[in-house]
Amino acid sequence: MSQINPEDFTVTDFAIREHRSLWGDAWKRLISSNTARLGMFIVILFVFSATFSHYFWKYEPKKDLDYSLKLKAPNLVVTEEIPSIHPFGTDKLGRDIFRRVVHGGWNSLRVGIVAVGISLLFGGVIGLLTGFYESTTMTRVERIVLYGITGFLMGMLSAWIANQFLQLVIFTILGILAGYFEGLWAGKYYRAVFFGALGALLNFGLALFVGLPVALVCGSLGLLAGLLLSVTLDGRFFSNVMMRAMDMILSFPGYLLAIAIVAFLGPGLGKGMIAIGVVGIPVYARLTRSAVLSVVNKEYILAAHSVGESHGRIIFRHITPNILSPIIVQTTMGLANAILSAAALGFLGLGAIPPEPEWGAMLGDSYRYLTSGAWWAVIYPGLAIMLSVLGFNLLGDGLRDALDPKLRT
Amino acid sequence: MTRYIIRRIISVIPTLIGVTFVIFMFQRLIPGDPAIAMLGEHATDESIERIQEQLGLNRPPFLDREALAEGDLAGFFDSQYINYMARLSRLDLGNSIHRRIPVLETLKLRFPATVELSLLSMIIAVMVGIPVGIISASRRNSLIDSVAMVGSLVGVSMPIFWLGIMEIMLFAVFLKWLPAGARLSTGFEIQGITHLYLVDSLLTGNWAGFKDALSHIILPAVALATIPMGIIARMTRSSMLDVLQEDYIRTARAKGLGGRKVLFRHALKNAALPVVTIVGLQAGTLLAGAVLTETIFSWPGIGRWVYDSILGRDYPIVQGGTLLIALIFVGVNLIVDILYALLDPRIRYK
Amino acid sequence: MKPLLEIKNLKTRFYTQDGVVKAVNDVSYSMNSGEILGVVGESGCGKSVHALSMMQLIPDPPGKITQGEVWLDGQDLLTLSEEEMQKVRGRDIAMIFQDPMTSLNPVFTVGFQIIEAIQLHTDMTKDEATHRAGELLDLVGIPGAAERLNDYPHQFSGGMRQRAMIAMGLSCEPKLLIADEPTTALDVTIQAQIIDLVNKLQAELGMAIMWITHDLGVVAEIAHTINVMYAGSIIETGKIRNIYKKTRHPYTIGLLGSLPRLDDAPGTELVSIPGLPPDLLALPEGCPFAARCEYRVEQCVVENPPLVEIDGPGHSVACWRWEEIAGIESK
Repeated sequence: MSQINPEDFTVTDFAIREHRSLWGDAWKRLISSNTARLGMFIVILFVFSATFSHYFWKYEPKKDLDYSLKLKAPNLVVTEEIPSIHPFGTDKLGRDIFRRVVHGGWNSLRVGIVAVGISLLFGGVIGLLTGFYESTTMTRVERIVLYGITGFLMGMLSAWIANQFLQLVIFTILGILAGYFEGLWAGKYYRAVFFGALGALLNFGLALFVGLPVALVCGSLGLLAGLLLSVTLDGRFFSNVMMRAMDMILSFPGYLLAIAIVAFLGPGLGKGMIAIGVVGIPVYARLTRSAVLSVVNKEYILAAHSVGESHGRIIFRHITPNILSPIIVQTTMGLANAILSAAALGFLGLGAIPPEPEWGAMLGDSYRYLTSGAWWAVIYPGLAIMLSVLGFNLLGDGLRDALDPKLRT
Repeated sequence: MTRYIIRRIISVIPTLIGVTFVIFMFQRLIPGDPAIAMLGEHATDESIERIQEQLGLNRPPFLDREALAEGDLAGFFDSQYINYMARLSRLDLGNSIHRRIPVLETLKLRFPATVELSLLSMIIAVMVGIPVGIISASRRNSLIDSVAMVGSLVGVSMPIFWLGIMEIMLFAVFLKWLPAGARLSTGFEIQGITHLYLVDSLLTGNWAGFKDALSHIILPAVALATIPMGIIARMTRSSMLDVLQEDYIRTARAKGLGGRKVLFRHALKNAALPVVTIVGLQAGTLLAGAVLTETIFSWPGIGRWVYDSILGRDYPIVQGGTLLIALIFVGVNLIVDILYALLDPRIRYK
Repeated sequence: MKPLLEIKNLKTRFYTQDGVVKAVNDVSYSMNSGEILGVVGESGCGKSVHALSMMQLIPDPPGKITQGEVWLDGQDLLTLSEEEMQKVRGRDIAMIFQDPMTSLNPVFTVGFQIIEAIQLHTDMTKDEATHRAGELLDLVGIPGAAERLNDYPHQFSGGMRQRAMIAMGLSCEPKLLIADEPTTALDVTIQAQIIDLVNKLQAELGMAIMWITHDLGVVAEIAHTINVMYAGSIIETGKIRNIYKKTRHPYTIGLLGSLPRLDDAPGTELVSIPGLPPDLLALPEGCPFAARCEYRVEQCVVENPPLVEIDGPGHSVACWRWEEIAGIESK
């Protein structure tokens, strides 16, 4: 048999698989799951009906009132007594529950989006920064900024006590100086002595204009600040402080904190959104931070550093795309939670101001009429809450399975 | 190990101090003057001032800088917050503005109700959730698995208050099997040792009392337990599935270990770690969710009481109650951390 | 002498969303007791999968052993039920794995894990088993063996952990020890130690060893016989001397040729085999190596060559043109 040169004929070489992108894969997986499809369907239905009804099926809650139709059972046919159709019945003020449920969806949707948006924005940024700086050495400029901000924050107390704005400026400058001269006597105790003394004297002197006792207090605060600034502050310090703050927020059970915030801000759907959003910040901060931590020591990040990419560029171009998966999942489930929390607030009479249609508020209004048999006023709004939350949860669950890196072959 | 525990306890202290600060700050910022709330809008300025003096409300909130400017160092520290902290260290939580009874006493009275409810709910959630999770994981993608997971997802999606209302509707109104509220029917007396009715009635051999207390607590406990149950089941399942993929499970099988031993001995101990964390987190949710459940079931606990006080501007109660809740929350998290260290030797030896 | 282990026509498939992965394709060979067999090949060639298939440790779904017989001591292991198989695992065949950190359970002490294996297959009491575990750790060269039984895996260094795993594998005196890339995760000096240890143990205890690796250098130091695998099949097998001195299959030739040698002139280019291994989802009809082989002819693409004996037992090759190639190469 003669030898044939390899160039003479082509063989279907190394079987090349069709190009598969990460997102394409995930989408395929998502579609193939029954529960995820159900979730998607519910969510789309929810979003669609809420938006559509808000823009095309106008509803004036303040004008909706008809005592003659008070607490009527659901009816699908027009009768003499009841001249209009009420598929879900009517509530204590004679309002059509069906219409209010559909419009309540719009409110729930808004609350969900805004609340999660707030949590994601603030929590995400905090998580991103703390996670990144925990394992990365800061540049000179970044460090000076850190020292400066620390100085500034410490100065706020002193400036307030002595009623001298100038103190704030001095503290900030002290911070910046400590940061700029970071190498000065670093690690030696005379650095602490120097900055401590500097801080103490400056503030003492300044506050002397107000009075001796004030000067004493401010002087000691200056000493403290100086001592703190003489220590090497770095990313880990920043990270620790921020996560401590997050822990403090997390020390309060979610609902309680939301109630407290609403009590402080006043009633109203908007305030409710803010409350739920703020409560969620530490959750997203923790999540983002742990996601960042798992990515930040990978080789490609190291490679990016070694090529001289700036921190900002690394964060945006390399880290953020790789932490999207858990954040997407959390956001979806977070939407579910936000809707639930909003309903809880509404139920307690916080959040939406009557007569705005809001599912929880509708429940809260009507449940005392349960004993008189008006089950429809209670079942339908509750069902609406449950179904929409379920939809987001199913979707979030499906997303988690679809984006699971371990399932990638 | 002890060093780790001590370190954890110490790290909790700044958080606690921060917590008192936040609680205090919130009350100050809520609009509304309790003095006016007490006396009514038409009270004279003098009487308002007198009440404010009594309540300590005429001191500046944090630090008296004017006093300092005048040279009064002691007066500098005479502020609401500092006085509050001083009293706190003596365990003096003050008196309720509206009812004049010491906060501590009222807390002691109402706290056991919430504890009993939360505890029972947690027990139910764990005893149902974990086995369901394990079974689902071991029979992945089977019918049981699908049913269990969808079921827990539905449970997680359900608003507690709605579930409670549904329960009342079904069991109290339609079926009339169970009572709709309160802890005990009228006429029943249970001797108080722990003030947990279920425990006390058993301890004193009060069988009828036990049955009655149980019939009252079961509905709210189940309602409250639903969400944690779902979360725990799902977490257990996913944690087990993760662990079952690990190499050491393959080693265990290669040694000749059978399915059950592999599951319960090797897998579970590793899978337990995230589950323990979740259970700890749920404790906090339970305490807070109690507010809603207590409302519907007229349960005399602190959740509802604190909520009412927030709206009624009754500062001392809010401070005391919230502080207690936050303390418990922090405490539970501490216990979770310690448990974690017990389960995972890698944490201990850091 | 009747062989200890006989594998006949083993086929393992994985049924995935993307298709059927043909991981092991018609693998047959045998091992004698006391023999050290090296199974060599690149990642994905099926060497680990075929070993796991032998022990019925393939996750099902998505994997399935679709055909084959695995005879150990008069029993076809593939016909055994799970319970019966559990008695075989650890006792007759033991397997140790690549990454000792993840292969040992982090929440149990090393001693516990070894004692567990012992008590599973013998009647020893806890104390006897503990004593034996200490002996084993000593045997594998861990200093202070008795105290270290109470340590956790993360308290051991990488090499120590692998020694502990070996101790665990040998604890019930198996007839066959399968080592799946045991030194791949270790650095070179530790590698050498482990190889020495295994050689010593084999001389003392006399069990058969299957050493799976992709490292030709490692296998040269330890094996008596070598199976070279490619894309799920064995393409050359034989005594170590034959494989290294009288290499016949183009793939093996390519592998050995790609090793840099100390006596190469400086500046010599490194030779590598062009192309990539075939996708196991879409294995071609003929010889799996055809696409990359410089000696291929039409028959190679159409028909898969069987493993045939050449120069008597002790050397077999799966290639249509082995004779010609031997002629060409020797020039």
